[in-house]
Amino acid sequence: MQPGAGGFRVVTANTAARSSGIAQGMPRREAEGLCPGAVVLERDLGAETIDFEPVVVAIEDLVPKVEVVEPGLVFVPIQGALRYYGGEGQLLERMVERLGAWPGGQLGVARGPFAARRAAALAIESPLRVDDDAAFLAVLPVDVLPDEGLVATFRWLGIGTLGELSQLPRGAMASRFGEMGLAAHRLASGEDRMLDPRRINEDGSVEQHYEEPLHALDQVGFAARALSGRLIASLGERGAAPYRVEVSVWAADGSERIRVWRSAEPFTEHALTERVWWQLRAWVETAGVPGGIVRLRLQPADLSDAGRQLALEDDSASQLEAARALARAQTLVGPDAVLQARVQGGRRHSEQVTWFRWGEAPPSPQRSPDAPWPGHVPSPTPALVPPEPQTIEIEWDGGMPMRVRLRSRWETVTAWAGPWHLAGRWWEGEASVKRYQVVTSAAALLCEVRDGMAYVVGVYD
Amino acid sequence: MEKTATARTATKPGDARWDLRAEPGRTIGLLGIAGGGLTRIGLSLLAEPSQRAPVAVVDVRGWLSPLAAFEVGIDPEHLVVVRSAERQQWSQVVAALLEGIQVVYAEVPAGVADTHLRRLSALARARRGALLLRPLDGRLPPGVTHLTLQSERLVWVGVDAGHGRLRHRHLQMRAWGKGMGGAERLFEVEDDGENTMRVVAGMVPSSTGRAAV
Repeated sequence: MQPGAGGFRVVTANTAARSSGIAQGMPRREAEGLCPGAVVLERDLGAETIDFEPVVVAIEDLVPKVEVVEPGLVFVPIQGALRYYGGEGQLLERMVERLGAWPGGQLGVARGPFAARRAAALAIESPLRVDDDAAFLAVLPVDVLPDEGLVATFRWLGIGTLGELSQLPRGAMASRFGEMGLAAHRLASGEDRMLDPRRINEDGSVEQHYEEPLHALDQVGFAARALSGRLIASLGERGAAPYRVEVSVWAADGSERIRVWRSAEPFTEHALTERVWWQLRAWVETAGVPGGIVRLRLQPADLSDAGRQLALEDDSASQLEAARALARAQTLVGPDAVLQARVQGGRRHSEQVTWFRWGEAPPSPQRSPDAPWPGHVPSPTPALVPPEPQTIEIEWDGGMPMRVRLRSRWETVTAWAGPWHLAGRWWEGEASVKRYQVVTSAAALLCEVRDGMAYVVGVYD
Repeated sequence: MEKTATARTATKPGDARWDLRAEPGRTIGLLGIAGGGLTRIGLSLLAEPSQRAPVAVVDVRGWLSPLAAFEVGIDPEHLVVVRSAERQQWSQVVAALLEGIQVVYAEVPAGVADTHLRRLSALARARRGALLLRPLDGRLPPGVTHLTLQSERLVWVGVDAGHGRLRHRHLQMRAWGKGMGGAERLFEVEDDGENTMRVVAGMVPSSTGRAAV
């Protein structure tokens, strides 16, 4: 069992439990109702990694570099092995034969990992080979996308399949849903990243030697946490996070073990520590490192494809969470209500601010803010600026403001400055304007007087 | 004058130091009328976190000036303004933001249920986010905030009868709540409007006499 939406759900069940009707994903209560005598165990991904290790080793015998996503799911880049085995069919035959010892395995073949995973999910009897990722994905429901919140929004908008999603303009997706929408559109269009084990140009690996070989699991756990933290921190300084990490250990007898772990999203420190720990534990508990660990190395790979590198943030995980939160806010209030702003030149506040939707590229400034802009009111800027000027009553005496009416109360003006004159575009019928800073005991206001009427255009809050 | 984006460096009698900042998991209430000077105080608390990650402002009236936000030191790249005028939706919007944004400054429309405000405060605590609440009707229910700041008096300097311009301000505020160790104090903030804001030394005891430290 593992926690999921609406409580604990079944992850797997033995043959006896399955024969009672228990299935994967079933709520705990329902499963216990079908089979009251069933023993319920909480999911232990570390133990699953140990159980899955022989399967990975069997695949590695056929194709040397594999990428483990989680216990039970492994990606195998087969491009390089095709020539050796004489083709895709022959390789798959060998793989099915080799994996025969573990019944129930599912194999899918496609160009991208997302399509391959979906193909494997549908390959019940025999391996499913996909020739055209986009065509294969087009008929699948949007529910196969990883982000549940986004899926719910797509459903609400009447988008039922990945094909329908991929038909939408990519620019509109980016504008409406930001980075996550863009990623979903790429997946739906069959443009997932390729499983091509590329190295990054700069060696970002971290390594630790141990004078005393590590045997005890708590020592190994500490080593996993320390080195994972170092890797994420060093990459974080460059504004990057890895999608794949190669874990290498050297045993006291001189043997070396290597395993690649990958993630659909950039690894956080916690996620990477977990995976490194699972892997080391699996090797140690299956006697895979005779004599103990004397050296441990983490090598990041596939920092990102263009456009997916998390360069703007010190903390890549927080950026991802922030993007999700803002996308969720966008779905609630609409894209026109989640905004960012930039400064440009101008005499009025409305001219000095350019608003744009969050997730879109900021517009180029039309006017330089460094130009003199005669008539503009000097800083500080009012913290509150009404979208439209609000009418206000002001009592004048010889051109000096004496009292202003705030709601129902008249407030004495204790100090004032101005006026700052704005000539206005007379050729467009714009009236000339005088602006005053007016201070009362209740508030300081920026007021505008034109055509004999007074308006509040800012509150110094 | 110390150049800093947050209101800080407070010294209170007894030689204790106190930093006014948005702390993870804490909710700060900002009480006072429009013009009382608290929008700028709230924005200044976003400045430091905005150097590292996005910060959000929930703007109920659509009045917030991003220029003022940039003046107090908020990174333009990291300021996101969410306009949410509907009372029914407001709680959902703030909750959604707290799921991923480290510091959220939210104007509170009149009529939001007390239970919603308490849940949001609990969510901020659970998510280790900082929540700054600026109620437009000037009230917050008890038990919501870790620290409450109320604007008491605002004095602008630099402007006279037709001369000069607004240059800087002295804002006297009353603070209470757990964040003040249960005491209630008065203190003064000096703000020149351009990324310089500090709590001036010499906090005075509350006029109620309960917080004379």
